[in-house]
Amino acid sequence: MKLIKNTLYFLCIALSIISCSTDDETEKDLEKPTITINYDGGFPQACEQLKKGQTYVFKARVTDNLALASYSLDLHHNFDHHTHDDQNVPCELGPKKEAVNQFIYMENFSIDGDLQTYEIAVQVTIPNDVDTGDYHCAYSVTDVTGWQSRTSIDIKIIE
Amino acid sequence: MRHLFLVVFSLLVYPTIYAQSTVCVTGTVVNEQNTKGIENVTILINGRYTTTDIYGQFELHVEKAKHYNLQASHVSYISKQRVLNNSDVTNVVIALKEAINSLAEVNINGKSEQRKLKESPLVSQSVSKTFLETNRENSLMQTLKKIPGVSTINIGSGQSKPVIRGLGFNRVVVVQNGIKHEAQQWGGDHGLEIDQYGIENIKIVKGPASLLYGSDAIAGVVDIQPANVPKRNSFSGEVNLLGETNNDLFGVSAGIASRKNHWFYRGRLTYRDYADYKVPTDRISYDNYIFELYDNNLRNTAGQEANASFSLGYKSNGITSETFISNVNGKNGFFANAHGLEVRTSDIDYDASSRDIDLPYHTVNHFKLTNNTSINTQNHDVFIELGYQNNYREEHSEPVPHGYMPKPDNSKEREFNKNTYALNIKDAMSLISNHDIVAGLNLEYQDNNIGGWGFLIPEYNRFTVGGFAYDQIAITDNFNLQAGLRYDWGLINTKSYYDWYPSTINNPDGSTSYVYLQRAQDKTLNFGSFSGSVGLSYIANNTTYKFNVGKSFRMPLANELASDGVNYHMYRYERGNLNLDPESSYQADFEINHDAEKFSFGVSPFINFFDNYIYLNPTSNYYETLQIYEYTQAEVFRFGGEIKASTTLFKKLNLAASAEYVYARQTSGPKKGFTLPFSPPLSGVVSANYTFNSFSWFENPEVMLDFIVTAAQNEIVPPEEITAGYQVLNVSFLSKLKLSNRLKPLALRIKLNNVFNTKYYNHTSFYRLIDVPEPGRNLSLSLTIPF
Repeated sequence: MKLIKNTLYFLCIALSIISCSTDDETEKDLEKPTITINYDGGFPQACEQLKKGQTYVFKARVTDNLALASYSLDLHHNFDHHTHDDQNVPCELGPKKEAVNQFIYMENFSIDGDLQTYEIAVQVTIPNDVDTGDYHCAYSVTDVTGWQSRTSIDIKIIE
Repeated sequence: MRHLFLVVFSLLVYPTIYAQSTVCVTGTVVNEQNTKGIENVTILINGRYTTTDIYGQFELHVEKAKHYNLQASHVSYISKQRVLNNSDVTNVVIALKEAINSLAEVNINGKSEQRKLKESPLVSQSVSKTFLETNRENSLMQTLKKIPGVSTINIGSGQSKPVIRGLGFNRVVVVQNGIKHEAQQWGGDHGLEIDQYGIENIKIVKGPASLLYGSDAIAGVVDIQPANVPKRNSFSGEVNLLGETNNDLFGVSAGIASRKNHWFYRGRLTYRDYADYKVPTDRISYDNYIFELYDNNLRNTAGQEANASFSLGYKSNGITSETFISNVNGKNGFFANAHGLEVRTSDIDYDASSRDIDLPYHTVNHFKLTNNTSINTQNHDVFIELGYQNNYREEHSEPVPHGYMPKPDNSKEREFNKNTYALNIKDAMSLISNHDIVAGLNLEYQDNNIGGWGFLIPEYNRFTVGGFAYDQIAITDNFNLQAGLRYDWGLINTKSYYDWYPSTINNPDGSTSYVYLQRAQDKTLNFGSFSGSVGLSYIANNTTYKFNVGKSFRMPLANELASDGVNYHMYRYERGNLNLDPESSYQADFEINHDAEKFSFGVSPFINFFDNYIYLNPTSNYYETLQIYEYTQAEVFRFGGEIKASTTLFKKLNLAASAEYVYARQTSGPKKGFTLPFSPPLSGVVSANYTFNSFSWFENPEVMLDFIVTAAQNEIVPPEEITAGYQVLNVSFLSKLKLSNRLKPLALRIKLNNVFNTKYYNHTSFYRLIDVPEPGRNLSLSLTIPF
């Protein structure tokens, strides 16, 4: 019994030393940034049809509790129906097919100035010679801590 | 000597007498005082020889004769002779009286393993076959999880990897028969390729153990020791059957062991086949995605495993040598709706059968050939361990274009083929009284090759050599000091890798080029590191006190140094760092263990500091629209420990409780203030075990309740999620089944896991990131049939 008492004393002392000596740093950032196209002006909306040769401004709203850092925009084909978007709006997909000259757009951008809200606006021209059909539009955003959020939208490129 | 002569003689005459008509003499040898069976009693009848099993029973075929001179002898008992007639050769009962000199004899025979563990200042624990059988789960590591301080990283229901005090992957060493198990243990989605049947003894070291085990033994060691050499002139075996309801598993494992005089062999075959496992939910919501589950099945998580092992050994007075050959083969499906973090749709009809394994899946084959030889002379015990192992793993997924990569023409995304050669030599010297000096040398060569259309880690060759020496000084009988030093030197040569498809590069001058990007460089790097430890142990009656300070290290891995690739399934781009130093860790351990008949208590706190912990840091930047993760080094401070207590009431009821906790903080670098990835939360187990009186066929039936309480894990690093706490109850019933006096009793176990079908998340599960809960209620039935 004496042994247990001594051990418990030891533990209490150890714990009090430890609890005093740590966690004196500032609060950690445990929040992810947010990203959405669900607002007036968000582009593209689910099942949006983009015409070849046209120029569009891709817009999404991003926020973070601390500071936004970077974002990316990725457009790639979904001819094989490999995945679906996260918009909860089912889009009618065209028949599966092989890519001949698919459209790929992959660009990264940084958000300077420690902003907590920002509207992504990326101008993209759909070339005239690319395959038409089902595509994905995937946005992602990071904050200064390294948290990331993503959203993806089913779209189509048409003649 | 007379016995030895008789043994040799009986072996020589064996073929001749077997041809004649024989009589089977059966019986039991019991202790005169308590009528309990005595194991290992030598039974000699008319020149034939056997020994009793653990229940004191024996069976011996002898040449037919008028009289049978039976002699029963045991080192701790007074020998007895009896003359039997033909009419009384079955169920002979012989009661032996304990010899007064028995205690003295035991002491001469040397220290028990338990005593040695107590004298070593390393915080370690021995895991017996009984523990493994009582707590058997779906994989070896899940079975060991019940030990405070040990946890697992799980990938589905059949695979898991070890975690000791919150550290896993390449910071825990797994040793089997003296040789380090070398696979792709850096990967998040693969499990330990070791057959969990046929293991008799595991030593778990919690704490820095590089002194003895070299690189990687930072958090601890799971040391699977060779099974004990079988008894002379014995043949034994067992068949283990297992069925489970949650994943419709059926498993069978059969093992045999036999020894004549000097030569012995062992063999085992294991086969397991399981379907998709069930979770207590019918839909999984991950980010904005919702996956509906069919019949609660986590689709495509079925798997199968087929293992075979054989060993041949020789034991004489001065030499023991055993050569092991084993092969573990597995195929496991991965959850179909999300591979890594990547959500996938497919034409595959995953719900057609819960037993089939469709894409994505992996196959793994682990082959091992090892030899353990020990040579014992008066002052030297020399141990030589030699090993070759090949780990071949393939990862298959549906071919999909990613980024600039066009659609591949096959499903083989990754292939790893790793050969590892190892040699360990150790000499334990007893030249000076009260000093046990041990010196040794470890050599290892790894050759890792890759294939498939996905790239994660480069090909590499790695050579390491380490030398160590330590001295264990018995200051008094109960007070031991151990001090040792080690130096390791390693050379790693990474091979260059280029993409098999061109990527589009927009040049600053406005032009566009198409380049086969280089993902890994041809580099030769070398590393050297000292490690060591100093510790004290003090044994006061039933209480053991230990204090140990040690430095351990880990050589950087090829992927940490040289990877430069896209991990599409995790939505990240992984970038290595050629300037990484060997990881070094300093740790102080303290342990008090009190073990008495009615009450036991133990506490084992530790404090740990890393000056350059290597981890994959998620940055804020992108590469081809994927988040860049960079291998970085940071200072890390950790502390924690385990506490356990148990008591036995009314000789029948055993109550036990244990808890474990780890605190980890990065104290420098880009994630200063954050914890480490995969940090296990505070958790505890309260167990009750009641042994009933034997009745009917049931011998010593027991009921065991384990109530697991786990706190929430609010300590996370990107991209982890906070995980809520949970409570889970497991109940088991264990009993020996004595169906007849002639047969060895069967061991029966019925276990109900997650009794209330609780939906909970395990913070250290691979599927936690996509919000997949842990398996639901599972009833398992296991039967062990010894022969």
